[in-house]
Amino acid sequence: MRRPMSQSALRHGSGYGRKTTGDRVFDIFNSVFWVVVVGIVIYPLWLVLIDSVSNPGDVYAGRVVIWPIGFSLEGYKAILASKQLLRSYLNSIIYTLSGTVFSVFLTMMGAYALSHPFPGKGAVNFFIIFTMFFSGGLIPSFIINRALGLYNNPLAMIVLGAVSVWNLMIARTYIQTNIPGELYDAAAIDGASHFKYFFRFVLPLSGVIMAVLSVYAGVARWNDYFTALVYIRDRNLLPLQTVLREALASLTSSAASLIEDSLKIDGIDVQAATRKAEVAKYCSIVVSTVPAVLLYVFMQKFFVKGVMIGSLKG
Amino acid sequence: MAQTIRIGGGAKRPDKGSLGKRFARSVRLHWQLYVFIAPIFIFFILFHYAPLYGVQIAFRDYKAVFGITGSKWVGLKHFRDFFRSYYSMRLIVNTLLLNIFGLLWSFPIPIFMAILLNQLNNKRAKSFIQTIIYVPHFISTVVMVGVLFLFLSPTSGIINKALTSLGMKSIFFMIEPGYFRTLFIASDIWQHAGWNTILFIAALTGIDPELYEAASVDGASKTQKIRYIDIPHLMPIAAIMLILSCGSMLVSNTDKALLMQTPNNMSVSDIIGVYVYQQGLGKAQFSYTAAINLFVNVVNFITIMLVNFASKKLGETSLF
Repeated sequence: MRRPMSQSALRHGSGYGRKTTGDRVFDIFNSVFWVVVVGIVIYPLWLVLIDSVSNPGDVYAGRVVIWPIGFSLEGYKAILASKQLLRSYLNSIIYTLSGTVFSVFLTMMGAYALSHPFPGKGAVNFFIIFTMFFSGGLIPSFIINRALGLYNNPLAMIVLGAVSVWNLMIARTYIQTNIPGELYDAAAIDGASHFKYFFRFVLPLSGVIMAVLSVYAGVARWNDYFTALVYIRDRNLLPLQTVLREALASLTSSAASLIEDSLKIDGIDVQAATRKAEVAKYCSIVVSTVPAVLLYVFMQKFFVKGVMIGSLKG
Repeated sequence: MAQTIRIGGGAKRPDKGSLGKRFARSVRLHWQLYVFIAPIFIFFILFHYAPLYGVQIAFRDYKAVFGITGSKWVGLKHFRDFFRSYYSMRLIVNTLLLNIFGLLWSFPIPIFMAILLNQLNNKRAKSFIQTIIYVPHFISTVVMVGVLFLFLSPTSGIINKALTSLGMKSIFFMIEPGYFRTLFIASDIWQHAGWNTILFIAALTGIDPELYEAASVDGASKTQKIRYIDIPHLMPIAAIMLILSCGSMLVSNTDKALLMQTPNNMSVSDIIGVYVYQQGLGKAQFSYTAAINLFVNVVNFITIMLVNFASKKLGETSLF
């Protein structure tokens, strides 16, 4: 229940442990349910983490279950030696930063315009929302984007998918409900144009929604592998996820490309190398996932609030 | 800038002149807003409407040298080819089943979770749980599927180690067709069910506290409050989510299916999106796969309209 206990206790005398048996059973069931759910969510994450720092032999034998065994950072050393991985990591950072800035700025501009009345706004709204229900699809998009010169072009990683209808609507709703119209009237009396008003007032007052949009756009970009799969051919331009895919989601896992560098050095004991490759996979998962999760955790404060504001009307 | 004031003031705007003149004046006053909307407009033209224009290659034999409109018109040939092919039925059935089973499981769970979360008395526990259950949403599909491969590996995976230690045989889950849908849907739920509670929690937060208080006075138990207050309040938003999901019954999570597909589980993992990707981009059958794309789009569009219409008739919520 959302209201403070004290208030409810005063009103109904239910705060003195005089809950009905039914409610008490319900509360117990509910607590147990959440302990189980939190366990199910956390355990796989924890397991990946402890596998990444354990002794490869023990990981391979399935002995690492609750706590790391034989702490070692061998796996991390191995993946840090992989030039391909580092290169793609850097690419992903560039794509994510520039893509996020581009996406958030474009979305805020559009959302600002849509939060004001202007002639033809209904038509523009329809024009935008229609794309939610009918789209060209992968192949026609590919042909058009190739004609636009985005094939094998790093710009594809920044531009494609920069604006989503959903984010546009969330941002518009936020501006409409959180920035009073009187503020614009006052600014206009002082002679402020839409441009001035947008940069002076709207952007500074939209911190929460821009945080939300940044997390959406940033995480989407960081985690995207499909765009690169379709558009990027040059191996030096590949983002992290595409490189990870080659290493992780394959059946021929024994010769993981991640540690081929180290394989060349001590390439005698194949079995040991296989086990090491397995741990290196866990390490690469940790290294690639931590930035997205950290971004979420840091932004989390604004986040839940902003998402709720946006979604209420959506 | 005196002109802008009048617009901001709204009510004071004089209603002089013909409609055309008024429109022209209004445009003059708001030209800046058109500048704001212009980038979005261009974006949608380039990346949404140009591909829509390109859909016509479904009726042509597209050759890059001739361009879109220069390629030969072949009418419905590609559609006929698709429906006559051995794969079409399998693709449609696989896509539908994956989506229907997915919806059956992953639709109710977030609603259930939101209701239970709303009933927790401890505020700190509540926000801790919220923080935790959103985390998997931020994990990439590549990593998710990678973790499945690792945990379910027949030689070193923790699941099979547990099975063998219990005296059971180890199973190579990722190539066994029977496990494909279960794994696909279960991992989806693990990743996104928590995140998908947000909308429902927002709806529950919007309920007037007096309703609960009145119910308490009348001696309602928690389950009764859920039954008579929470669930009716969640119905509209749930209906909208359901209508939207019905509009994507033939759309598939291509990225994930592509990652989870192995030669052995093709009989269930071969879905429309994956086929379009492999045939279209892998084998450059642009027109043929564009036709499949168009077929999917039309079916989705009709479905969403029908469901929306039915929902409206039944007096429930509708999209528009």
